Amino acid sequence: MATRQTARAQSAGSAQAPRDAVVVGANRIPFARAGKKYADASNQEMFTAALEGLVARYGLQGERLGEVVGGAVLKHSRDFNLIRESVLGSSLSPNTPAYDLQQACATGLEATITIANKIRLGQVDSGIAGGADTISDAPVAVSEGLRRALLEAGHAKTWQARAKALARIRPADLKPLTPATDEPRTGLSMGEHQAITTARWGISREAQDEIALASHHHLAEAWDSGFFDDLVTPFRGLSRDDNMRPDSSAEKLAGLKPVFGRSLETPATMTAGNSTPLTDGASTVLLGSREWAESHDLPVLARFVDAETAAVDFVHGREGLLMAPVHAVPRLLARNGLTLEDFDFFEIHEAFASTVLTTLAAWEDADYGKNELGLSGALGTVDRSKLNVRGSSLAAGHPFAATGGRIVATAAKLVAEKAAETGKPARALVSVCAAGGLGATAVLESA
Amino acid sequence: MTAAPPRTADGRELRVETQPSLPGLGGLYARGAAASGLIAAGRALPSIPGIGEARGPETRADASDGDLTLPDVAYRVGGVRTDDLERHLHDYQRLVHEPVGNTMPAGYLHVLTFPLTTGIMVRNDFPLPLLGMVHLANRVELRGPVTVGDVLEVRAWAENLRPHRRGVQVDLVAEVRRDAGDETEPPVWRGVSTHLAKGYFLEDGDGASEADRPRGQWTPPLPTGRWVLGPETGRAYAAVSGDRNPIHMSALSAKAFGFPRAIAHGMYSAARALADVGPGRGDAYRWTVEFAKPVLLPATVDVAITPEEGDGAGFSYVGWNARKGLRHFSGEVTPL
Repeated sequence: MATRQTARAQSAGSAQAPRDAVVVGANRIPFARAGKKYADASNQEMFTAALEGLVARYGLQGERLGEVVGGAVLKHSRDFNLIRESVLGSSLSPNTPAYDLQQACATGLEATITIANKIRLGQVDSGIAGGADTISDAPVAVSEGLRRALLEAGHAKTWQARAKALARIRPADLKPLTPATDEPRTGLSMGEHQAITTARWGISREAQDEIALASHHHLAEAWDSGFFDDLVTPFRGLSRDDNMRPDSSAEKLAGLKPVFGRSLETPATMTAGNSTPLTDGASTVLLGSREWAESHDLPVLARFVDAETAAVDFVHGREGLLMAPVHAVPRLLARNGLTLEDFDFFEIHEAFASTVLTTLAAWEDADYGKNELGLSGALGTVDRSKLNVRGSSLAAGHPFAATGGRIVATAAKLVAEKAAETGKPARALVSVCAAGGLGATAVLESA
Repeated sequence: MTAAPPRTADGRELRVETQPSLPGLGGLYARGAAASGLIAAGRALPSIPGIGEARGPETRADASDGDLTLPDVAYRVGGVRTDDLERHLHDYQRLVHEPVGNTMPAGYLHVLTFPLTTGIMVRNDFPLPLLGMVHLANRVELRGPVTVGDVLEVRAWAENLRPHRRGVQVDLVAEVRRDAGDETEPPVWRGVSTHLAKGYFLEDGDGASEADRPRGQWTPPLPTGRWVLGPETGRAYAAVSGDRNPIHMSALSAKAFGFPRAIAHGMYSAARALADVGPGRGDAYRWTVEFAKPVLLPATVDVAITPEEGDGAGFSYVGWNARKGLRHFSGEVTPL
């Protein structure tokens, strides 16, 4: 079964090295700004659409795949089997197992890691990873007071007990609760958390706007050059990401008012232009063993080499909320004997422009490398010309669980194209930060 | 089974009065309000129109205030059962964002002992008014876990009457022991609440106090959290704690005491900060708080919970109004 022997597998004491997991292809629907084109689309409708597009592109109708894994961050309780229900509504074989997984904004990448690992272990030969998220169709909850009263009334055995439970409802309890992106333990929104990290690292407004501008220009170029032609299926009248602003300029971005960090002592720098907008969308990635791809006459874009997740202690400000990938990457590189110099592409999720910049700054800081990362000095420098070269979340938008699939697809296609062009192997580093102080990172290589 | 008579911090021996049970707070407040009205008319409540600055004829403390003395009595209640407190404890824990369980956070024991402490403050021979007193500071030591089902003995007294720039301050002490426990042991929980009565003066007081020195320019740190407190925050904590002081209940009732809006209970803020420290505090800890500007509701309070350097060094915390740059409270949580 094993086709490649790696040093890592030997050091892990495994008698047989795991086989390769490869990215065959991917499909997503265009990402839409919240409340616009997908205003009435549910997570299941969006994920099913992305899945059906993938099935159609790779001729998987009636196929029993090893597993479909994905999730949504904002999820209705009725969607407990979101992915399985999407599979049942697709033209895949109904005998394809599925399950939901959720790791905030890292959901899509974590789903990819999970499928890749099962393929490498030989537990499955093929699988689809992905995710969907909608702000437009997000669940609206009732207040804690109303919820407790209703539950108690429901459990009551007599009408008197039921009436007593319901009598505890107060007018204020009737106000519906919409989902917030606040961290439950700190009460700070993700933007406010990043504003604190931004202040700590002294990241300038201009540097953030520069990242945002590059994201829009790179994504527009990618669309214009046909890069996404075999990665996206139109949905609900949308054929391109509608958050993209190809005509954006440094002047326009500079004119926006800061929205985060306004109550800090340092000047606020984070605007709607250099922060990701709330977005709806879904994405999928098709993975398999080399043998499965070959036997199904399917192409291979990239090898999913390895992955590392991390978490940081952000609750008392020990580390920034979105800085976990900063810690994951050095461990990932060390395990694979790589340095930042060994990569052709860096896909660093743009939760905020400043997230990318605080990540790069931390890796370039020798004291931080020693004290926080346990290295002998700075991790290294990311060549900006290799960073998010086909645009990232600032331009495309960020439907939380769908972002991982978008990034893996772009990274896989980038290394495939680069290898085809140069005849030499190409390598990409993927980094996704997530709520809860979480982060997931991965290495992909041309197959 | 009465313990050796408790002594105050300055060595005064107290007569122990055993109470049949913990008093209910509702009635105490009614008594406290009536008594406070008599004691404080025209002094602690100078802002009430029509009363002015003249001292009311019914004032019990004489004009010099020089012989203000605290009652030489400690209240004691034994056999305090906690087995029916589970739901109340859980309500408290949800309100102050503690993890829900059957171990009592230090703030809950403050709530539990509060009626007995208040009982001291509404005695006829307690020289200061209950209503209108300002909670300046609080320090608590919890020496080990107290859980639902434990049978407790509670004591409370007042001590250490001393001058403050704006009046006099007094410590209200409460102690919790396991009932039938070893009386020579320190209490499992001990709380000292420092309160200020404005407009009262001691004969020999110089009016200066460490707690009320003018504060220098203060620059807020980077926050680690933010609390959004709705207008109902005071009523919600009142419902769980029993502390229905009118300054917490509504803007209207707070105005009568000179506050533009209702203010959050100090012990609510302190309890939220204690909860924010999280499991790092352990089962036994010292928890202190010093109150500065009141939290006017509704409010957004920025907080910074800062782990101190070194093993077992604990945490410091501070809460402030970011818009105005005003500090609301600060304190420490230190594992014991």
